[in-house]
Amino acid sequence: MLKHPMLKYINEEGPSGKRFPHLLCPGCGAGQVLNYTLHAVDDLINQTGAKKEAFVFISGVGCSSRLTSHYLNFDSAWTLHGRALPIATGVLLANPELKIIVFTGDGDAAAIGGNHFIHAFRRNINVTVICVNNGLYGMTGGQVAPTTPPFTSTPTTPYGNIEDAFDLCKLAEVAGASYISRWTTAHPIQTTKAIKKGITNKGASFIEILSQCPVHEHQTPVEMTKALKEITVSIKKSMDSNKIPVGELHFAPRPTWTERYESVIEKANEMIS
Amino acid sequence: MIEIVINPNYCKGCSICIEFCPKKVLRPSNNINAKGYALPEVVDLDTCTQCKLCEIVCPDLAIAVTPKEKRGGRNARK
Repeated sequence: MLKHPMLKYINEEGPSGKRFPHLLCPGCGAGQVLNYTLHAVDDLINQTGAKKEAFVFISGVGCSSRLTSHYLNFDSAWTLHGRALPIATGVLLANPELKIIVFTGDGDAAAIGGNHFIHAFRRNINVTVICVNNGLYGMTGGQVAPTTPPFTSTPTTPYGNIEDAFDLCKLAEVAGASYISRWTTAHPIQTTKAIKKGITNKGASFIEILSQCPVHEHQTPVEMTKALKEITVSIKKSMDSNKIPVGELHFAPRPTWTERYESVIEKANEMIS
Repeated sequence: MIEIVINPNYCKGCSICIEFCPKKVLRPSNNINAKGYALPEVVDLDTCTQCKLCEIVCPDLAIAVTPKEKRGGRNARK
């Protein structure tokens, strides 16, 4: 029977029985992000001859972070809440040749892991951070998150949220990430290209993907996908518009942490000899 | 021969493939799978251009389209 081409990277069966279909709700954006990422990785394996063993997936805790070790047939680690980036730093130090992809949610990256988030970009470690931003805490019941837009009502803010939201892309830019782009789950081809560029870029890459949570926002996935297209505008046309700009927001390569570390090792060896 | 296969064990009936299809090849149906989700069905297979957008957007990796046959470039005539 004809199968989805990306199922070759998925563990459909595990030691304790069937693992697929995944546990995410119908129409979840995190499932779409998994699909886009696998397409990007598949293109890189087919076109550039990258080996499957060169990819490592790391995640923390959250809906989007469930995508790694439970389902993927790649090397992966499912780690502590918000601490995916420190683990990624350790993996990178052990083998700087690896291509590391970190799946994270908005609560994982901006709330509990906020400090790890900014310092990973300040160091410019060679990782690709894919942030699935649905603007609420999906796994715990839809509570207000640092990325919830103002005046939104959630279970913990029934009369509307009074706080302004984090702009994660601007935060990553001032922290020092070398490649930043923002897309939505309603832009499949562009997101796949952005993920590909993020993986090939040397240095810290941050890709924010605005996503839907149909269960907690009480809309159908199709309505939310249409809304995501309506509230966003291309970065080239965003000058006189109050919509959310999407596209490649920042690209400025600079020396990575591992390159500088190698130069320090050389210098130390010279001084000793 | 083009074939579109929807895996009834994996599909969760979110209708995103129906929304994204540029040629409107798919539509909602009354076929219910074991978990109670309404599966999409293929209406017009002839208009399918094998763009594979449904495959890329599916959150559950449930739909599959026959890959495009590679048209041989320079070597095709030999």
